[in-house]
Formats: sequence, C-alpha cells, structure tokens
Amino acid sequence: MKKSAIILVIPTMAFTIILLYLVIWNAVVSFMNWSLLNPKPYFVGLQTYLSVMKQFQFVNSLVHSLELSATLVVVGNVLGILFASLLYFLSSNKVRSVFLSIIIYPLAISMAVDALIWLWLYNIDIGIDWVLVKIGLPKFPWLSSTSTMFPSLILVTIWAYSGLATLFYLAGFMNIDKTIIEAAKLDGAGSFKILRKILLPNSLNSFIISTALLFLFSFRIFSLPYILSGGPTNIFLQTLVVYMYYLFTVEFFSQATAVATIVTLIASIVILPYALVIIRRWIRR
Amino acid sequence: MRPVIRATLHYLALVVISAIWLIPVYAMLINGFKSNLAVLSTPVLVPPTSFSLSAYHIVFNALERPLLNSLIVVIPTALISTFLGAMGAYFFYTLTYSFSKFLSSLSDFLFSLITLATFIPYQATLIPLTRLVVSMGLLDNYLGIMFAMLIFYIPTGALLMSMFISVVPRSIIEAAKLDGAGDLKIFMKLILPLSLPGFISTLIFIIIEAWNNFFIPLVLVTTPGMRLIPVAVESYTGGYGTIYNETFAAAVIASIIPLAIFIFLGRYFIRGLIALGGGGKGV
Repeated sequence: MKKSAIILVIPTMAFTIILLYLVIWNAVVSFMNWSLLNPKPYFVGLQTYLSVMKQFQFVNSLVHSLELSATLVVVGNVLGILFASLLYFLSSNKVRSVFLSIIIYPLAISMAVDALIWLWLYNIDIGIDWVLVKIGLPKFPWLSSTSTMFPSLILVTIWAYSGLATLFYLAGFMNIDKTIIEAAKLDGAGSFKILRKILLPNSLNSFIISTALLFLFSFRIFSLPYILSGGPTNIFLQTLVVYMYYLFTVEFFSQATAVATIVTLIASIVILPYALVIIRRWIRR
Repeated sequence: MRPVIRATLHYLALVVISAIWLIPVYAMLINGFKSNLAVLSTPVLVPPTSFSLSAYHIVFNALERPLLNSLIVVIPTALISTFLGAMGAYFFYTLTYSFSKFLSSLSDFLFSLITLATFIPYQATLIPLTRLVVSMGLLDNYLGIMFAMLIFYIPTGALLMSMFISVVPRSIIEAAKLDGAGDLKIFMKLILPLSLPGFISTLIFIIIEAWNNFFIPLVLVTTPGMRLIPVAVESYTGGYGTIYNETFAAAVIASIIPLAIFIFLGRYFIRGLIALGGGGKGV
C-alpha cells in the first residue's frame, strides 16, 4: 500500500527539495568571493562572513531585527493574554467573535498596504498628531525623528500581529474544560483568580506557539520598513532582510548570501524544534 | 465591584481597543472619498463633508491591470498549493500505520522541510530563486511568479492540510482499504470530501497570504505591466506632495479582496491560522 501513497507526496517533495537547493546554494556561495568586482567566484572560506560581521550596517540591521522580534514577542504575548482574557469572559459567542475579528483583521491586509496607511497616520501635520494637538498634547515625531522612527515601525507590527497571539491564547483558554471553570465560579472565584489559577497555568502551549510565530513573522517583515523608508537604504529602518536585499541591489552577491544564510540559520533555530516537537505531536497522535 | 459596573468596564475596554484597532481601516474608508480640495483642507482622521469618487476613478484606472495580474497568479497558485499539499499531507497521515524506520525518518525529514518552507524568511532565497527563475526564462512571467510562490505555498498547504486530515477517523480509511481501494482513490473519494472545510480553510489562508506577498513579485517582475497589486500600490507612498486620497483609494483597492474574504469567510481564515500553530480542538 505504501507505493501509491509515496506517489502522492512527490509534488510536495519536489518543491521542498527545490527550497532545500536554494538554501544550500546560498550557503555554498557565501563561502565564495563573488560580487560586481569579482565576477568569477572562487572559494574564500569564512572571509565573507568575517567581512560582513565587521560592517556597521550588518550589526545595525541585526540589532534592529532582534529588537523588533523581541519587542513584538513580549508585547504581543502580553496584549494577547490581555485581549484573550477580555474575550474569554464575554458570555455571548457572537459578541466574542465580532471583537476577535476586529483584533485579527490586520492579518488579512498586506503589510505593504499597512505601510501606506501608517505613513499618513504618522504624518506630523495631518495624522494622529493633529488629534494630539487638538486635545492639548504635544506632537510626537513618529517617522520624522531618527530616534522614534524604528519604535514607530514596531508599533505598526504590534497592531498587525497581536491578533495572532490573542487567537492562540483564546483557543487555549477555550480548550480548558468548562466544568472546572464553573466549579471555580461556584466556589466564588472571580475572573482574575480564574485567569491566574486556571487559564494561565494551562497556557504553556499557547505561549510557545505565539512566541514562535511572532518571532518568525516579525523576522521576515520586509515591505513595512521598505515602504516606510522608500527603499532599502534607510539605515534607521534597515532590518536583516532589508539589508540583504540592499546588498543584492548593489551586487555584493556573496555578502548577500552570507546574510541570507545567517537569516536562515537564526530562523531554523526556532523552526526545526517547532516542526519536530509541536506540530508532529499533533499529527502523530 | 458591582456586576453592572464590572460588565460596563469589561465592554468599555473592548470597545476602546476595537476603536484603536479600527483607526487604519477607518482612515482607509473615509479618505478615498475625499476630493483633492478636501485633502488640502482636512486632516487624515476627519471625514469628508462631501463624497467624491475622483480618487477611486484615477487609481482604479492605474491599478486595474495589477489587480487582474494578482487574480491570475494568486487563484491558481492557491488551488494548486492546497490540492498538491493535501496529497502530501495524506502521505504523512498514512505513515502513522507504518513502523518502517526508513519511512518514518523520511517523514520527519520532509516534515521539517515543509515547516522550514512555510516559515523561512523567504527573502533569504532571493538570489538563487531569481537566478533559477531567470534560467527558466520565466522572469516577468505569470508562471515564474507562480513557480516561486509554489515553492513556499505547497509546503504551507501540506502543513495545514496535515492538521486538518489528522482528524479524519482512521476506521473509515481502514474499511476502505479492506474493500480494496487504492490510496489515490481513498484520497479523492474519502479524504478530500471529509476534510473539505479544512481544504477551504487552507485555500483561503493561502489566497490571503499569496495576495499580500510583496517580496516575490517585487523581485521577479521588472516591467510595470506585469506588476502585482501589493507592488503596484507602492507608488502611492505618502511622500510630500502626494495627494493622500489616492493613497487611501489605492489601499482600499489592494485590500478589498482579502478583506471581503475575511469578512465573509473569516472563520475559515481563522481556522487556517490556528492550524498554522499546530492545531487546536476541532481544527
């Protein structure tokens, strides 16, 4: 019986092998010296990595990427727990799904479109600042100051991705046996106590999933910094993937593949354990 | 705290959060209808006093082609990814019977690869991917964009469909096996119909992801006529001097399809997201 099932997996296998080829190609070329100035590649070992890691722009974009991911993971989890518990204690399923949809809808919109919208919302004359001035608050510089530029970008990603964590926490909460909650309520436990003593201690799985997905999604955000800064060259908004694209556009191919390999490695550290533990456990139950 | 106050505060918190979350969509909806004159005199968060369709008119003419391009690329990509992915997913499902060392390590290997393909920052494959597509002669070609997307979305389809197929009762499959049905037949006649809601969830999830993909069409398209919608709207960035009603009209045109899908078929999209995280009860 196995033979015919193997035929069914061939298309998936073929395309994943192409992906594997792309990843390995990157890794091989990253050990070579290949750029606009050196059109004939030859092996140079780790030299490309050493020269990339010494660059200010690499360190700068790595710090940005880690800053973005770490902030999104922390804030996304906190907001996810907050929103999910507000939603969980609603008594009407209908109302709950309306509010959940409002928190999740940014996930259905392209980051490129988000960037267009937020560029105007961040406008210091006619955007959110106009409202701030109206109600007597000082203007916030958003994208027009180098120190608030990157935090403003992070804010957009928090708006876009907090719904993801909310969804996983809510799904986790909903999976907990209702009778336990009812029993706790009969014993006089309030919502906060139920949250602290029952819901949160049972949310380890939601926490792992939210953390992994928030990290992976934030690590590959490209169009947001690209469009907010009008191209890949603004060092204040450069993340690793944007910097890699920049190296490609200036034809520093080996350096671009070295950065690509570093990006792939960092992502794989999260992806592979996630694949082998969390997801396989579900399929092989 | 009295229950009434408590309930009021509870709702108030949700209403405030929702209001904040809806600001971008509110801005999107009101500003596309402003006339050029209203744009000069009103800030972004103030609604127009009169409705004007001129911005939509101008932007739609420019975005008609990219919109069509996106439809031509995304719909077949999503259908193919979901169908072929489901076939792959069935293979993982059948392996649970098998205790063969070789097959189970093959399955682990493939499974790690499809997860990698689903979650990898796909930008990292930029150079080899572009070279591959160029060497196939498919730059600036619908097939080239579709091919590149399939590399990432077939594995996504396989991953999501694995979650959905895993809840199909094994007894049904075993009964069909005893009746002498082959795997292909079981897949077409039993697995697909039984996991149809999951199939729709996966399809919708991939349509939205592929529709919103910015990077792949950015690097694989060089002629303006072949641009897909997320890349085409980039020219409406709010640089100084840009009239913002056009930016917002462009934003609406680019997101109308995913948003409509989300509003009418949101539960399927949400189930797709949950499956992405390794499933939950009933996915």
